[in-house]
Amino acid sequence: MTLVHRFASIVRWLVHRNRAEQDLNDELQAFVDMAAADKVRDGAPPADARRLAVLHLGGVEQTKECVRAARHGAWLDDVGRDVRYAFRTCARNPGFSTVVVMTLALGIGANTAIFSLVNAFMLRSLPVRQPEQLVEMLWKYPGDPRLNNYGWKDYEHFRDQNHVFSDLIAMSVGRFQVTNTTVEPEVVDGVYVAGNFFEVLGLRPAIGRLIGPQEDKVGSASAAVAVISWSYWQNRFNLDPALLGKLLVVNDVPTTIIGVTPREFFGLQLGMDPPIWLPVTMEPLIQKPSHLADGSLRVALVARLKPGVTIEQAQAEMRVLDRSRLAGLEARSHDVQWRHVAIDVEPAGAGLSILRERFASSLLLMMAAVVVLLLLACINVASMLLARGAARRREMAVRVALGAGRFRIARQVLTESLLLSTAGGVCGVSLAYFGAHALVKIIASGRSPIHMPQPLQIPVHLDVHVLLFAAGAAVITGLLFGLVPAWHAFVSAPSSSLREIGGAAAETRGWRRFGHGLVVVQVALSVILLSAAALFVRHLTDLRTVGLGFQTNSVLQVSLDWSRSGYTPAQFGPLSRQVMDRMASIAGVRSVTLAGMTPISGAAGSQFITVPGFTENPDDRRRVSLNIVAPRYFETLGTPFIAGRDFSLEDEGRPRVAIVNQAMARYYFGRSNPLGRQFTIEGQTRPLEIVGVVGDAKYQDLHETPPRTIYVNAFQGSGGTSLIFVLRTDVPPMSVVADVRRAVRDVLPNVPVSKVTTLAEQVDASILPERLIAMLSGLFGVLAAILVAIGLYGLLAYTVTRRINEIGIRIAIGATSRDVIRMVLTSALGLVIAGLIIGMPAALWAKGYAASVLAIVAATQAEAPIMLPVDTIVPIVIAAIAILVVAFIASYVPARRATKVDAMVALRCE
Amino acid sequence: MKKLDIPQGTLDLMILTILAREPMHGYGISQRLAVLSHDQFHVNPGSLFPSLYRLEQDGKLKAEWRPTENNRRAKYYRLTAAGRRQLEHHRERWDRVSFAVSSVLEGA
Repeated sequence: MTLVHRFASIVRWLVHRNRAEQDLNDELQAFVDMAAADKVRDGAPPADARRLAVLHLGGVEQTKECVRAARHGAWLDDVGRDVRYAFRTCARNPGFSTVVVMTLALGIGANTAIFSLVNAFMLRSLPVRQPEQLVEMLWKYPGDPRLNNYGWKDYEHFRDQNHVFSDLIAMSVGRFQVTNTTVEPEVVDGVYVAGNFFEVLGLRPAIGRLIGPQEDKVGSASAAVAVISWSYWQNRFNLDPALLGKLLVVNDVPTTIIGVTPREFFGLQLGMDPPIWLPVTMEPLIQKPSHLADGSLRVALVARLKPGVTIEQAQAEMRVLDRSRLAGLEARSHDVQWRHVAIDVEPAGAGLSILRERFASSLLLMMAAVVVLLLLACINVASMLLARGAARRREMAVRVALGAGRFRIARQVLTESLLLSTAGGVCGVSLAYFGAHALVKIIASGRSPIHMPQPLQIPVHLDVHVLLFAAGAAVITGLLFGLVPAWHAFVSAPSSSLREIGGAAAETRGWRRFGHGLVVVQVALSVILLSAAALFVRHLTDLRTVGLGFQTNSVLQVSLDWSRSGYTPAQFGPLSRQVMDRMASIAGVRSVTLAGMTPISGAAGSQFITVPGFTENPDDRRRVSLNIVAPRYFETLGTPFIAGRDFSLEDEGRPRVAIVNQAMARYYFGRSNPLGRQFTIEGQTRPLEIVGVVGDAKYQDLHETPPRTIYVNAFQGSGGTSLIFVLRTDVPPMSVVADVRRAVRDVLPNVPVSKVTTLAEQVDASILPERLIAMLSGLFGVLAAILVAIGLYGLLAYTVTRRINEIGIRIAIGATSRDVIRMVLTSALGLVIAGLIIGMPAALWAKGYAASVLAIVAATQAEAPIMLPVDTIVPIVIAAIAILVVAFIASYVPARRATKVDAMVALRCE
Repeated sequence: MKKLDIPQGTLDLMILTILAREPMHGYGISQRLAVLSHDQFHVNPGSLFPSLYRLEQDGKLKAEWRPTENNRRAKYYRLTAAGRRQLEHHRERWDRVSFAVSSVLEGA
């Protein structure tokens, strides 16, 4: 019989159930009547005939039950009954059910939330044709992040010379001012693409058409076209199809809107959803002077591998093709480091890698943490169900007495568990919805990678994959924690008899041990989670404070936009001095200075320098970090002076001077005194004389060791660049912002303030992954502690109830409340210590393992890896102490209750 | 003498065989079975009715309510085309099995 047929008969049975039941009843009655008639004919007394006939049948109801069980779809009936019964059971204990469901919701919700990020960042394929064939080209200058960034002429070279790609596409991200009759002027991200872009990706327009090969010939403004994204169409044009053919003015160039990209397409780079797409041939119209014309337009490259070509083969060929570019770079910069640069070809089916690389290790760590949390929740629930199972022995005994088999009972218990886990899963998904959005908000608040919008746009949806994950987590969870009580019911069902339900004696030693074992495992798992939390929080604190070389608190940074002021760069210096003087007079401002770069902004200047009398192997030659600062910079940032003097305003017009840090002085001058020594910056002729030495300070990034750094005086001929005002305040820095703006407006009415931040914000934005990990692991650690507290409390409360006779006797023969409390606490302490004995080495191992995984991830990574301080056991000790405290609190309540036992009442209830 | 248990898997075959001659109700089938087996087999209604229902659900039998010869109403089962094929198939298998078993027993 086919499946369809069988299914149809099940459906028929379900639909016609009542009629079928009636039918069966009539049929069996007819059987009895006929049998009775025969018995009478055979000479049985008519009074007995019917009874004999029913006996012959073996009982009407029993036979019906046999028939029902034989029907297809019978199991559906059973499941339905089980579920209904499970509902009633759960509804009878709303408190218990709520605790279980919430515990599971937290576990499943945390997993789903983190998984939805993992899905968005690492798993989700681009909605394009055969995404698995797509690769991207990355290169890495030693010490810098990996980049997918080439010149347009490199693109043409690769495109025309390679034999490994069926297609190569390029895109160039830019910012554009757009406006038209319905859209107020606004600045948006946009992407220049060549005519093959959408065709190679196999994208179909939502409406209209996409940029195609014919756009490669656009040369005149009259043929300028633009494609917009679906979300832009929705937000600015209300999904009005009549926008096709309308004009959109892009940076003063009128373009015709020809189409809309598909709804599910957000571009190739996670984190940005560019509203407009332009043919690259329009770049010379929009950008003056054009970068396309001289081949210097910066583009990211994505290619489609030819069938049968491996990534390794493609990489080998690309490295050969890239040689001329690298040789050119080395020749122009005299920098042999370019010899260490080589292209990596990486899969790009899930989009470009920048954000993925930044967050991959954090997300994997968090995924591991939430899996442990869910395991902990499972064990917690299992132990609660087990304790309740003991309380439900009477119910089970009744069911056994009424003829329920052990399989039936075990299945019923498992159904209840699955019902609870399903409820937990549903609540968990709603928690995950809010959790994931909160996480995305936090991630978007971090510093965006270069060429990316701020804040990042991360499309995190609870899509099919995420929901399947949640459903899978719920089912597996239900099976995991449900198997224990189901097995317990299975093995104890046959022995369940109403007679022996008396209380304490009923529970076997083995199961009690098992319940204790579950608490021990909970303690062990929570030690792992809590020590991870302590580790990451400590790591974050270290990053923020250790070896910075400057003080982050109470520093305000103010940037000005000079571009439309009409001042010449030569005027910037004197005007800035006037502004500084005004700012310095604001109440609460302790010092004011200027800097080309402020610390940990993610960018840094660097140059090669020549020190007379110092020779080095060309391969060891490194750039030296360079910053342009005004007097009082070091005082303002809190970087200590080691020797010499600060810059002064009097340096203006005198021989050029420089201040260097200790790392720089040590490298070039060893133990000899650097003061008075000279060096030359590459590309300049006039030497600089060192007048001061300052302490080492981190510059571009918190993860680096402070680089060799030189500082030059902002008021010594390095004017012309727009510098950042840096203020140290005695009051909260944001409280002087209004005064600072007024000071700028008084001196420079037509120079707007473009950006005001505190240094602390800037530093925090740069370590978002670490903050995220510290925050989440802290949260998970606290949840773990709460779960352990619940688990321990539950077990002890149950134990106290179970031992109530014993405690009553002890009190009756003279035990004091102190003795009773000690008795309960000792048994709790034993479990906790056993948990710690398992958990602490496990936490140590987990930490080492996590560090090694991170090291592997880091080896292929652009961004600074997360380095764990693995050499310390302090976090584990902190975790152990925290668990002990939590355990004490959780045990004290039931212990206290034990002392309230009334000896007479306890003994009487025996 | 104690009655025999019906060997596993042969009840369906016997039901189909009985119904191949003429449509019959449940009680009739159990009586016919006793007679045909010289009172050796006594089918338990707790096995007979589940088998009937399963065969009906599988489309091997078709049931209808009809008056009996004693003017009662009873549910009569008759073979469908699929039931006939099933019977032939089962019958052939059974013949081969019983031939094989008796061959072994006689040869031993």
